[in-house]
Amino acid sequence: MHDLYNFVSGPLVWVAFAVFFFGCLYRLIRMLALVNQKEKFIFSYMSFKYSLRSILHWSIPFATENMRQHPVMTIVTFAFHFCLIITPLFLLAHVILWDEAWHFSWGHLPEGLTDIMTLVVVFGCFFFLIRRLRLPEVQFVTSASDYIILGIVAAPFITGFLAYHQWFNYPFFMILHIISGEIMLITIPFTRLAHMVLAPFTRAYMGSEFGGVRHARDW
Amino acid sequence: MYNRIIKFLGLILVFVLMWVPAHSQDEMTAIDNDMFLKPQRPVSVFQHDEHNETAEIEDCAQCHHLYEDGQLVEGESSEDMRCADCHEEKGIGKTPSLTQAFHLNCKMCHQEKKSGPVMCGECHVK
Repeated sequence: MHDLYNFVSGPLVWVAFAVFFFGCLYRLIRMLALVNQKEKFIFSYMSFKYSLRSILHWSIPFATENMRQHPVMTIVTFAFHFCLIITPLFLLAHVILWDEAWHFSWGHLPEGLTDIMTLVVVFGCFFFLIRRLRLPEVQFVTSASDYIILGIVAAPFITGFLAYHQWFNYPFFMILHIISGEIMLITIPFTRLAHMVLAPFTRAYMGSEFGGVRHARDW
Repeated sequence: MYNRIIKFLGLILVFVLMWVPAHSQDEMTAIDNDMFLKPQRPVSVFQHDEHNETAEIEDCAQCHHLYEDGQLVEGESSEDMRCADCHEEKGIGKTPSLTQAFHLNCKMCHQEKKSGPVMCGECHVK
């Protein structure tokens, strides 16, 4: 158990973060290279002002027409993404482990709150799964990998929840939690999860086109 | 009559013999955490004597170390002090916080020896 724990909480963390970081960098560079190769003219109307306007506009719940038309989806997706990012960053146990390794620490949220936020993420994954299965317009753009990445995202939160409450076999779920978190980090750059880094650029491109070319708002 | 008194005294003796070790001062069963005003986790299980027997620790300074001006004082130990006398709620300079002091002292040794609890919930048992 010690060898396994030392391995998954040591070298494997380095591998996961390295793949995540350089993979995301690769995706960004490849995106810019592809634009440069295929639709270079896009650069001519990219506007900082309209990019930021669009990113901001689409970052506020119910600010856009699309969000108002899908209120349930809007609430779930904002709650999901907020908890998905904030929970692991400000979870007490994570902050403590970081402090142990780097002697550097920041604030943490109460454990009762992060417990609920974890459930929000799991519920969100479940909601997205039902949505993919039920809505024809979503079903149409769904492939097998979309179901797999829902599982990849849910796994660290489900195992983390079980480990926190020490239900069933604690060491087993703790190790599984660490491994599933690392799998998620590794898969981000190479799946649709890459929207984590690519989405702002899609938004910036659309914002620039609607603002600078069509002279319209970007709904 | 005598028989009954002897039986009664014998019962008391058995009770005292069982009760004293269970409550004696030396038998430490958990980490001293009353420094923490609002502990987030259940107090760490720690059977002091049993631990040192199993781990074959003879030298008190192995855990009860003494630092002066950031330097480890060899041959000196600090079992007459509380951890919280040096390690405060927040770390100061190179002195780790009390939480960190507990975690580093226990966990690092367990990882090195590949024995004993290393994951959060193995000490902070719910």
